[in-house]
Amino acid sequence: MDVLQVILSGLLLGGVYALFAAGLNMIFGVMRVINLAHGELMMLGAYITFFLFSQAGVNPLLSIPLSAVALLVLGVLLQFTLVERVVNQPLLSSLLLTFGLSTLMMGIALNLWTSNFRSVAWSPLTGSWDVAGLAVSKSRLVAFAIALLVTGATWLFLKKSIFGKAIRATSQHAEVAQICGIDVRRVRLATFGLGSAMAAISGSLIAMIFTISPEMGRMFIGKAFAIIVLGGLGSFAGTFVGALLLGTSETLAAYYTDTQLAEAVAYAVLLLVLLIRPSGLFGRAE
Amino acid sequence: MSSPIDHPTAPAEVEDTTIVRGRPTPGWERYLGWIYLVILILATGFLIWYPSTATAYAVSLALIVLMTISLASSWNFLSGFGGYTSFGHAGFFGIGSYTGALLLHYEKVSWIPAVIIAGLGAGMLALVIGYPVLRLRGPYFAIAMLAFSELCRVLITAWESVTLGGHGVYLPIVRFQREEDGATAWDRFGIQLHNNQNYYAMLVLAIIAVSIAYAIGTSRFGLELLAIRDDEVAAQSMGIQTTRVKITAFGLSAIFPATAGAIYARQVGYIDPPTVFLVIWSIRSIATAILGGQGTILGPIIGAIVLTLVSERVWEINPNLYQVIFGGLIVLVVLFMPGGLIFLLQKRGILPRSRRL
Repeated sequence: MDVLQVILSGLLLGGVYALFAAGLNMIFGVMRVINLAHGELMMLGAYITFFLFSQAGVNPLLSIPLSAVALLVLGVLLQFTLVERVVNQPLLSSLLLTFGLSTLMMGIALNLWTSNFRSVAWSPLTGSWDVAGLAVSKSRLVAFAIALLVTGATWLFLKKSIFGKAIRATSQHAEVAQICGIDVRRVRLATFGLGSAMAAISGSLIAMIFTISPEMGRMFIGKAFAIIVLGGLGSFAGTFVGALLLGTSETLAAYYTDTQLAEAVAYAVLLLVLLIRPSGLFGRAE
Repeated sequence: MSSPIDHPTAPAEVEDTTIVRGRPTPGWERYLGWIYLVILILATGFLIWYPSTATAYAVSLALIVLMTISLASSWNFLSGFGGYTSFGHAGFFGIGSYTGALLLHYEKVSWIPAVIIAGLGAGMLALVIGYPVLRLRGPYFAIAMLAFSELCRVLITAWESVTLGGHGVYLPIVRFQREEDGATAWDRFGIQLHNNQNYYAMLVLAIIAVSIAYAIGTSRFGLELLAIRDDEVAAQSMGIQTTRVKITAFGLSAIFPATAGAIYARQVGYIDPPTVFLVIWSIRSIATAILGGQGTILGPIIGAIVLTLVSERVWEINPNLYQVIFGGLIVLVVLFMPGGLIFLLQKRGILPRSRRL
């Protein structure tokens, strides 16, 4: 029963990971930019929820759309002013640029909000429900449900809507997409905005589960890389499965060994997949 | 690729018919090797003499400059010349720090062998992991090396019985000798050497790194790396043994951060996993090389001096804003100086467009 408990809590966490990693994967797919600042976008989302809750008493669930919209705007601005300039440049330019942004945002957050750990203690979501003998953490279940909803909505948007199809076309082949009349520049703006909003929502959800700090982004970006590589770069479904797998294996590793080694799981998975099957579980070989 | 193109021996009549942008190569370019040798001897002489007048703070600052030169130059071996963007320098730096520090902590060997073992050990490790990892390209390689560095940090932290885990390692203290104790000038020089041994070790390392960079930059091996950077498949079909070239460059480039890490550990006296495996060690190497000029010989030297002095100044003004300003600087360099200082000067016609710069 204990193991089931552990697996369940890992799966629930995996849902939130999926939302975070899906945004990163989408940005990479569309513009071949590895956004090293993605974790900091998540951190900003988490802090928006935290401050709205602690300063204005806003219900954390209601603050989620607010943080999503705020980061959507920030994401579009970042893409418009900075990231657009390194698209189609050597890989190193975009890596360095986004790393610089990440350091910049983290530095600003450290100065404004100190490195103290904060948490959102919202009473309706503390404690757990008893489901068939398993204790299900309320905050994790709600976070999982919301993450699932948002990821599913994004997936539908990409699958069904015209603009979603434009995004997928650009990610398959940017030049051909352009020839077919797709404004790839606008697609890139929308993608970075959307990816940032997804990061923000996952940040808001993480704020309800864990403690947050300005340095939290660095921890999650490593996991996101592992998930994306595991699922296959550019594969939406792969990201989701990869996230659930990573969430579960992390909590299992923490249960059987110790929390320190659990941290190694993400990196070990990442390296192993890259060495054995670089295209991931669902990816196409490049 | 926006890299300096080499036309050192282009005959005059060719220059009239082909489009060669910029000025023709000046005559003194032919003597560049000798010019470098003279500068190297003068600079080495100055740097050997330097600690005798400078304050302890200035010497430690010079040590950081020399360390940054080694880091950036060696990053250039594989990533600047070969185009394989590596985030592995943080991992090798940390491994070197820990190897050196633990050898001294358990009193296995004295410090010079410890530093050398740290460097060669990391070089060997790079040869082993290089074979599988260097099959990955572009973003995959970058992410893999990022993960490698982090994995090393976590494993060193977890392997508590040997590495002392998160508590960190204290290194034996170097006892200073008083300079007045020396009877002759030679004795006093010996004491100066003893009191600044980390600085001198870093000087030797930087000289070796720059010399190897020159050897790579002017050799066939360097050309092979450049070919791999521009088009690996084409390079392979031209008969270049790409795997061997890449692994050699990778092994060479891993030795220097590890050796520098071991000397650095001795200099600061205490290390723990979060500080020596920080991703910033990779970024420092990369930013320095980019600022000076990717795939150049002189670039890392210029970049190291500029970057270290600027970041020291920022640190003095406001340590809290250090990250903000450092991050902002990286963004500015990427946007406005993607080729680095060397390329900027070449475009203006101040420096010749030579591969030997």
